[in-house]
Amino acid sequence: MSDPTTDDTTDPAEPSLVLEDVRKVYRMGDSDVVALDHATLEVAGDEIVALVGPSGSGKTTLCSIAGGILSPTEGRVVVGGEEISDYSPKQLTTFRQDKVGFVFQAVNLVPFLTARENLLVVDELGRRRGAPARQRADQLLEELGLSARAKNLPGQLSGGERQRVAIGRALMNDPALVLFDEPTSALDTKLGEAVMELIQTEMKSRGIAAIVVTHDERMVHYADRVAHILDGRLRA
Amino acid sequence: MRIALRELRRRPSRFATATTILALIAVLLLFLGGLLDGLVRDATGALRAQDADLVVYSSTARDSFFRSRITPEERARVEAVDGVEAVGGLGVALLGGRVPGNGPRDLADLAVFGYELPPDGVGDPPAPGEGYADEVLRDDGIEVGTEVLVGPARTPVTVVGFVADTNFSGQGSLWVAADTWRSVQNANRPDATVGPGVFQSLVVQAAGGVDPATLAGAIDDATGGATRTLTLDEAVAALPGVEQQQSVFNQIIGVTVVVAIVVVALFFALLTVERTALYGVLKAIGARSRTLFAGVVTQALLVTVVASAIGTALAVALDLAVPAGAIPFVLTPSRVLASVAVLLLASVLGCAFSLRRVLRIDPAAAIGSAP
Amino acid sequence: MFLALREMRRTKARFGLVVAAVALLVFLIFIQLTLQNGLLTAFVGAIRNQSAPVLVYSVDGRRNLQGSVITPPLEAAITAVPEVGRAGRIGEGTFTATVDGDLADVALVGYEAEGLGSPTALTAGRFPERDGEVVANEADADLGLGLGDTVALEPGGLELTVVGQAEDINLQVTPTLFTTYDTYVAAVRSVNPDARDPLPNAIALTPAEGVTPDQLSAAVNAADPEADALPRAAAADETPGVAQVRQSFQVIFLLYALVVPLVTGLFFLIITFQKANALTLLRAVGAPARRLVAALLVQVVIVMAAGIALGTALYAPLSVQRVGSIPLRFETRAVVVWTVVLMLLGVLSSLFSARRVLRIDPVEATTGAGVQV
Repeated sequence: MSDPTTDDTTDPAEPSLVLEDVRKVYRMGDSDVVALDHATLEVAGDEIVALVGPSGSGKTTLCSIAGGILSPTEGRVVVGGEEISDYSPKQLTTFRQDKVGFVFQAVNLVPFLTARENLLVVDELGRRRGAPARQRADQLLEELGLSARAKNLPGQLSGGERQRVAIGRALMNDPALVLFDEPTSALDTKLGEAVMELIQTEMKSRGIAAIVVTHDERMVHYADRVAHILDGRLRA
Repeated sequence: MRIALRELRRRPSRFATATTILALIAVLLLFLGGLLDGLVRDATGALRAQDADLVVYSSTARDSFFRSRITPEERARVEAVDGVEAVGGLGVALLGGRVPGNGPRDLADLAVFGYELPPDGVGDPPAPGEGYADEVLRDDGIEVGTEVLVGPARTPVTVVGFVADTNFSGQGSLWVAADTWRSVQNANRPDATVGPGVFQSLVVQAAGGVDPATLAGAIDDATGGATRTLTLDEAVAALPGVEQQQSVFNQIIGVTVVVAIVVVALFFALLTVERTALYGVLKAIGARSRTLFAGVVTQALLVTVVASAIGTALAVALDLAVPAGAIPFVLTPSRVLASVAVLLLASVLGCAFSLRRVLRIDPAAAIGSAP
Repeated sequence: MFLALREMRRTKARFGLVVAAVALLVFLIFIQLTLQNGLLTAFVGAIRNQSAPVLVYSVDGRRNLQGSVITPPLEAAITAVPEVGRAGRIGEGTFTATVDGDLADVALVGYEAEGLGSPTALTAGRFPERDGEVVANEADADLGLGLGDTVALEPGGLELTVVGQAEDINLQVTPTLFTTYDTYVAAVRSVNPDARDPLPNAIALTPAEGVTPDQLSAAVNAADPEADALPRAAAADETPGVAQVRQSFQVIFLLYALVVPLVTGLFFLIITFQKANALTLLRAVGAPARRLVAALLVQVVIVMAAGIALGTALYAPLSVQRVGSIPLRFETRAVVVWTVVLMLLGVLSSLFSARRVLRIDPVEATTGAGVQV
């Protein structure tokens, strides 16, 4: 990985995510609850897909399966050309370190680490790369307009800046797919739009695919495509 | 791991309370241990210093010098036993000593030892009327050349040198020749006089390759049961109070360590609960439970190390603050190391209570959950 | 109240842990208090519970009954002091004895007259009247020193019969027998026929009328520089080692007394921080800060009370055991005093948490400040 910006592990022609007939069933006491029912979805290499649905619809489950946090009960999951359907929890952990990025609803930066260190956390969790990782963190911070804030703690940053640090963290491992979980839910319309614009710009310029989970219809026009989910069924 | 260290550095205040409690517990452990060490040291120095394998008492003496008498005939029988390399007589008198320049009621506590075989660090028996004093007697104003008047009979003994860690029964030892001891004993303890050639006990060096325990049996057989022979370690342990003190103190130390475990467990369990959301996120982006738990253990160990350092400093300060002789407290490096090691172990054990919680944190919880 | 109890029921494990910590600490404090008292009683009980108001040692004895020897001139000088009412010899020695078939150490204290070194009060039996009769320590009955038991001093085989029992009359952690001075002298001679008549180890005095024990002690000390006269309580407290034991234990108690409130303080501070959101919400929906602080204090009191109760429950069965030859007993007064002290310290320690609760601004619930992790 000599130059992280030009290095692109995902060929735009190859889909970044393939879900084939994915089912997820939870056991709740004596009954089974189907959270995801025969979901099939393909996300192209640089596509931004908005996943829209009310709460309890299965958005979270789909997102967790695509991100390698949960294993499907049935079906095939391929992320960035890697089939993860039958991975053990350990393999999934390594997979998450290498292949996907997450931006969580609550932003969830480590409160006692600076912006730069929050990016470097990703490097510390997996195989340590040291200097190249620090280089990449500095570059990402610069590209996200955060160079001046690199040494600030999350508490000293504005909401938008924290959001950008979280995006930077998601991009640290040069993922094939970034999952955004309700990135605008806590923001007003203006700030929400700014964040969606930022997501669009950053993903498109890097050619990285993204799934943006939202229930906010005002935000969906920033996506290339909208997938609706209701009661565990996907309507692409 | 780095995250854990950074948290310690950035937010030292949130670890301050736990550090304070552990530091106090460290002081407690060191104080209890130092007290035990001091008591045992001051009670047993004279025996521990013996350059011998066995100690011989009369069989009716209950392993005590004061009720033991070994006659020259018994001694001859001991010397005749196969495997006995050397035999030396030993006797002790606990008496007050008047030091010139001190007040008329300000007496030095003395354990006057008459000996033949030099203990470790003690020279050959000095000339009649002379003695080597233990270092602790310097606190009583004794110097080389001081003529101490021993006991109510004011038997004069001139100090000609100093020795270290040879105390007995909490009193400073004064090592004199056998005849000097006999004259001190007979002049001052008319109720417990000793005849010529009589000692309270014998110390025996075994010949090379001879098992001391076997030799002890052979000696007692040779004297027809008139003696009871102990190995040096047994004799030290048999001194009054030594074993009881050790068992009582060690039990108290043990329960205190359990308290330390509970404190660490409580503190890091609560810290882990607090970090549930954070750990969920870190797991989602690829942290292993092992890494997170290693962070908890690292923090616990570092908190313990800092607490131990503070505790040791406080214990040293306490040692300096306590006037010499007020409390038999000695702080040895080995006691400090042992206490710190026990505390570190306690902190790791305490952390183990948080392990299950760290393992149970579900990365899926990070997604789809409001703050 | 409802809030406090509800929370404790929901988070049993964490409250259980802090109660366990307090209980262990309380247990340690109590058991060490008991040990200290047991040790001191076993060490100097014979001095404390003998009847002479003033004891005179020789200076050379260094306030140790065994080490003190009263020479005839010293005895004459003491008894000649005008403030002396009555005077009697006391002799003391440690012997090996066959007790219940086994060899054991016993201390023998001989006194010339009742009221001059005899046990202050008997719990059973009577004082020695004939040669060979002794009063034994009540707690040593199960060692073979009960009423009617006979022991033989070795060597020599002089027989002594227990005719009375008294409480806490041991010396130097050794089973102690009080007897007449004549029996004591006979005992010394029986084990060592070559010995000369022993000199007394101390002189027991009662003050003349109108003289206090302190005045009598001062008068005796002024009369002869070889005399070391002490009122009864001082004689016990200034026995070598007693002050050391006291001071050592005081340091230990001080440290424990610091650890207990720190543990509870830490605990409540942490759970208060953790509950900050919930507390903010409660404030926002109209719970007065006073009520929240009251809930906190209720929890503190419950935790401390449960910890002390559990600690006492752990301590109670152990408190009636023996450690080696030291009998222990349940120290009711110490339990009460420490319960009050620890309760106060526990409540004090929670004041930091209370301050935090009072500082919560209900507005934060709506702005979301403080919610950010």
